[in-house]
Amino acid sequence: MLFYRATQLLFALIFSGLIAASFAQSEDLYPFTSKAAAERFATLTQEVRCVVCQNQSLADSNAPLALDLRNKIYHMILDNQSDQAIKDYLVARYGQFILLQPRLNKETALLWFFPLIGLLAAFIFVRRTLKLPGTKGNPTLLKIM
Amino acid sequence: MTKIIQSIKWFIPFLMLATLLTLLARELFYAKPNEIPSPLIGEEVPDFQLPDLLQSQTIFSKKELAGQIKLLNVWATWCYACGLEHDMLMKISREYHIPIYSINYKDDPEAARKLLAANGNPYVMTGIDFSGNVSIDFGVYGTPETFIISPQGKIIYRHVGAIDQKVWDEIFYPMIKRYEA
Repeated sequence: MLFYRATQLLFALIFSGLIAASFAQSEDLYPFTSKAAAERFATLTQEVRCVVCQNQSLADSNAPLALDLRNKIYHMILDNQSDQAIKDYLVARYGQFILLQPRLNKETALLWFFPLIGLLAAFIFVRRTLKLPGTKGNPTLLKIM
Repeated sequence: MTKIIQSIKWFIPFLMLATLLTLLARELFYAKPNEIPSPLIGEEVPDFQLPDLLQSQTIFSKKELAGQIKLLNVWATWCYACGLEHDMLMKISREYHIPIYSINYKDDPEAARKLLAANGNPYVMTGIDFSGNVSIDFGVYGTPETFIISPQGKIIYRHVGAIDQKVWDEIFYPMIKRYEA
């Protein structure tokens, strides 16, 4: 009876220990005093690309450079730097590519609007083709357009 | 006139397809998506202070990187490709007489000293960047990297990967020649 109880207790201890261990995650590596700062860190590390990985954010990557950049961002937040300042710092050293969402400026305008322009161009082209003189076109299609 | 326009219009879809395929082929076979161009080209070398690897009490800082054309090499003992370019760096330093400074990146200083003692030291000065923070200021993302620094202390070029004779002949030497008095 005692042996059975002892085994139960042992299992309970191991089990709860494992559960507790699963919570000991990377949250504690970057302690913040304010929740807002912690959220800024979480957002920023998700918006910055790990440049040595394929399409991963700093938050998702375990690459050494990702760890270093996370550390850098952590210290910059502790230093009270704004999100804009942190992003500018990284872009100045690694280029626009380091932001997972490219900013909208002269260089990236074409990137942002190309699908829209392409769609519009295709639409115009199709309309004009259907209206070429000499071709009856498809009456049903013409009605839709 | 309209007849010519009409027959040209016939070609347009094929032209578009050809353009798209050319772009695709170029990106597939010739683009290097893992390489990012350095936005620091044309900028002054960032401010930094690093302890010298071989001479304790000496500080390697930004002011060492001016006066004449110089190279700044970022390396580590754990970096395989850095070992591959070591002989070339010795040649650049001894035969081509271009001063090479270096940053020992996130490395064990003792192992770094042993390596230079065993294989030869091509560097005028080597700074210990233990944390990697100074290298982040240089936009370093993969060793080895080599920067060409102009006599005015500006970054002219950043090369990622080992330097071999071909890279020297085709990229480095032409750039350096422009600055030789």
